[in-house]
Amino acid sequence: MSGLGELDRPGTPDSPGGWDERSREWAAGQDDVPEQPASGPVTDVLGPEVPGPDVPGSDVPGPDRSVVPPARPRRTAVDPVKALMHRHRELCERAVDPLEIAAGLEAHGVTDRTAARFRHRDVFSLAEELYARVPRDEDAPSRTTVPSAPRARADWALLALLPGALGAATVAGARFTEGQLRLIVAAVGTLAVALAVRAALSRGPLRLADRTARPTGGWTCWLIAYAALGDALLRAALTGGPDAPPTAAPAGVLALALSCAPALWCAHLFTARARRRLAASRGLEEYATSVQPLLLGTFALYLAALTGLLALCGAGLGEPVAYAQSLTLGALLLLARLLAAHGFTHAPARVLAVTAGAEALALAAVFAARLPGCDVLAVPVETLVTAWGTGAVPALACGTGALTLLIHSSRTLTRASAHATPDASC
Amino acid sequence: MRIGLLTEGGYPYVSGDARLWCDRLVRGLGQHEFDVYALSRSERQEEEGWVPLPPQVCRVRTAPLWSAEEDGVVYGRRARRRFVEHYGALADVLCAGGEGPRAGDARSGGVSAAEADRFGSALYGLAELARDEGGLAGALRSETAVRALERACRAPGALRTARTARVPELLTVAAHLERALRPLSLDWYEGDSLGAVDLCHAASGGPAALPGLLARHFFGVPLLVTEYGVRLRTHYLAAGDAPPAVRALLAAFHGRLAAEIYARAEVITPGNAHARRWQEHCGADRAKLRTVYPGMDASRFSEVGEGPDSADPETLVWVGRVEPTKDLVSLLHAFAEIRKEEPKTRLRIVGAPSAGEGEAYLGHCKALAAQLFPDEADGLHAVGDNPVSFEEIGGPELPTSADAYAAGAVTVLSSVVEGFPISLVESMLCGRATVSTDVGAVVEVIGGTGLVVPPRNPRALAEACVALLRDPERRERLGAAARARALELFTVEQNVAAFHGIYLEIVARCPVRRVVLDETGEPLPFAVPAEAHVPGRWTGPAVRLMARGRPGWAAGPPVRATSRVAVEGAR
Repeated sequence: MSGLGELDRPGTPDSPGGWDERSREWAAGQDDVPEQPASGPVTDVLGPEVPGPDVPGSDVPGPDRSVVPPARPRRTAVDPVKALMHRHRELCERAVDPLEIAAGLEAHGVTDRTAARFRHRDVFSLAEELYARVPRDEDAPSRTTVPSAPRARADWALLALLPGALGAATVAGARFTEGQLRLIVAAVGTLAVALAVRAALSRGPLRLADRTARPTGGWTCWLIAYAALGDALLRAALTGGPDAPPTAAPAGVLALALSCAPALWCAHLFTARARRRLAASRGLEEYATSVQPLLLGTFALYLAALTGLLALCGAGLGEPVAYAQSLTLGALLLLARLLAAHGFTHAPARVLAVTAGAEALALAAVFAARLPGCDVLAVPVETLVTAWGTGAVPALACGTGALTLLIHSSRTLTRASAHATPDASC
Repeated sequence: MRIGLLTEGGYPYVSGDARLWCDRLVRGLGQHEFDVYALSRSERQEEEGWVPLPPQVCRVRTAPLWSAEEDGVVYGRRARRRFVEHYGALADVLCAGGEGPRAGDARSGGVSAAEADRFGSALYGLAELARDEGGLAGALRSETAVRALERACRAPGALRTARTARVPELLTVAAHLERALRPLSLDWYEGDSLGAVDLCHAASGGPAALPGLLARHFFGVPLLVTEYGVRLRTHYLAAGDAPPAVRALLAAFHGRLAAEIYARAEVITPGNAHARRWQEHCGADRAKLRTVYPGMDASRFSEVGEGPDSADPETLVWVGRVEPTKDLVSLLHAFAEIRKEEPKTRLRIVGAPSAGEGEAYLGHCKALAAQLFPDEADGLHAVGDNPVSFEEIGGPELPTSADAYAAGAVTVLSSVVEGFPISLVESMLCGRATVSTDVGAVVEVIGGTGLVVPPRNPRALAEACVALLRDPERRERLGAAARARALELFTVEQNVAAFHGIYLEIVARCPVRRVVLDETGEPLPFAVPAEAHVPGRWTGPAVRLMARGRPGWAAGPPVRATSRVAVEGAR
């Protein structure tokens, strides 16, 4: 603080508060250290002349009184702006530009006529002075609004178990019944499982972000139906059949139904962890690199869970299990749903359609080869089947699809924008 | 002439902000056609429906601001490059800091003007992209946008607060920008919609004026912006508890948008001097500013205002919505002082508590009144009564607000914060002398026709009230002057007439130059004769402004105080 401004003012020779705006700016620019309210030098200058209420801290606290602009005679005011600054300290400290202070001051009843008491032309210039004078701790850790990580909730977490339970009940029912009753049990059970899957996926972490997404349910049903019946049908077709309706292989499909629960839990784990990392990361690149292992880890966790379930189902039903096709199908479906849940509906729909189309094409090619002169059509499928068995066709199709989606999701699901909460606006 | 009325969360929705004003404007200017382009603010608002529309509203097009429809367009390489270029420029401008909102201010000259120019071209670039390719909503939410924001924040020379932005803040800013730029993706910018109007009138700043800006950009349609409350200020007050980086970037966006709107608008009409100061500060050219006061329906108050003074000469009235900013506590303390001088005085506080903290505040005030003033009775055998009464409009004693004003000799306004004080204008229309605190637009409204005291000063308030209570002649004189002033400045008629004049002025000065094509698609030379721009052609042949309820000799645009008072007196 310099005494120059005081000397320059002829009107108020006995008051150090007699600075005009320019000299104050000049002084503020000269020593950046802002004065604390009621600090030593100020009281020293005035000494006993300082009246009690002039010390800003001694004002009546309370929300109502805090906005009273000091309306004191000029002579006793040391630095009225400082008192004002003290009253609106929080407003001034959090402001990001002078206009914010101006708006806040006006909301507290400060008008241009009040500003004139602080020797300012208007509220804007008063706000500019306040903005310039209040120390602002720029490097302070900002209170980040963490996008709240979704909490695991009982409804979807338990609902996730329903498809598996219904599937197991259906398989058991079909096993202990015969003839037409068996068919009815199987049909009703399938319908129930389908509805349960739909219910389980419609809430929780695999809920679709966008209601208007293109439907993929048809392709999914086809892929699962192929997993149940396709191998038998293909085998029959290659051997000249089918002479009888193909028998279903329930182990793989049952394991998939049971894996709804681990899929939802894995998706929840991924979403929650990704959100939490969002708050901690400083840059987009950094975030992407930190989410990538998370995605792959979650994916691997699901595959491990599915493998375990497959082994369990195989042992329980006493059937051989087609690991390759079930695992690839499970991976494909999980990734497709995870992508769709984060708003990327385009690629999963395409890939599911192509995969289902490839499987259908393999079957159609075998049947078409029976037409005269079309023997060539069945050659690729036959070669594949003789080399690796009938399961090779869906395993290859789903495996390619899953790999494509995995590559795609490692690029898209690691983006920060994929994890933005939809109502993140303020 | 055809006027495109642009609103946001307002007319024609039932729960709209400025629907009353817009409705009066549209009904008052029946000789023009109105196309209403309304942005709705919430799903609830849309469900509540519209107000009944007069026949001069030819078409209404609405769009939701609260939801974004993705049209599923995925940008190809060229479109994406275009998007990155424009969005990046926008982000750069927002992060550049400096003298953001004060583009037109003298202190920040050339640099800011260039920045404002970049902001404008980025905005129009995005709008052109949305018009050509669609899919802007998806792109604004995509990683490309967030990446561009991050790059701008990390660039050298960026704002210090912007540099602290982390990923969540970037996402928040991107989401908010997407929301704010939703009007860019609308399908209103065609030759037969906003391209066909002669004038765009934005009923508020901010998002409502954005379609007007684009119509001006695409078709050269002149833009008129009316702001009764400054949108930028509302944004600052509503910014809430967001992190500093978010607030800084969004403040920069809204500041620059406001500056762009003010720069491109042909005429800006603030509702009071306070809004005008903000607009000037945000870069509005003074030559474009015309203050148009909001109009009030004077007929409700004419009976009280014209009639004989039936008021109890010892009653003070306070009318308004009970909330802490009205500072009734200070009024009660002042009333205690008044009672020391004039023991027979009564105070009637008329108003309903506002939602939220109003109830608690009203209870507090009632308790304080009971504490300060014990019940008193005329004699030993009468039932006592408190000199301060709390009432609400609509009861048997005070069926209308005019009755409330009529009940008192002096109207008191004790607010500490006030925008445009409606209750003060109503009291002026009732011809009552007023004592008010010096806040908001009070001084501007009251002029010299009432007493003004500093806020939070019960003693000054008391002294002014006592002075008026003791001087019935002065009260009458001030009341008459107040009514004359209110009739001159704050009636619906003056509001509508002012806008009518401004419409004609704009259309005369900067008409839309449309190129007329012949059958083969070639421009037709001299298709639009010069006379087409004469404003006289646009007005209807027989309809004259304000022809209803007004004698023929007063049909011209009323500007002078004398004629206006004479008109009121002739009713």
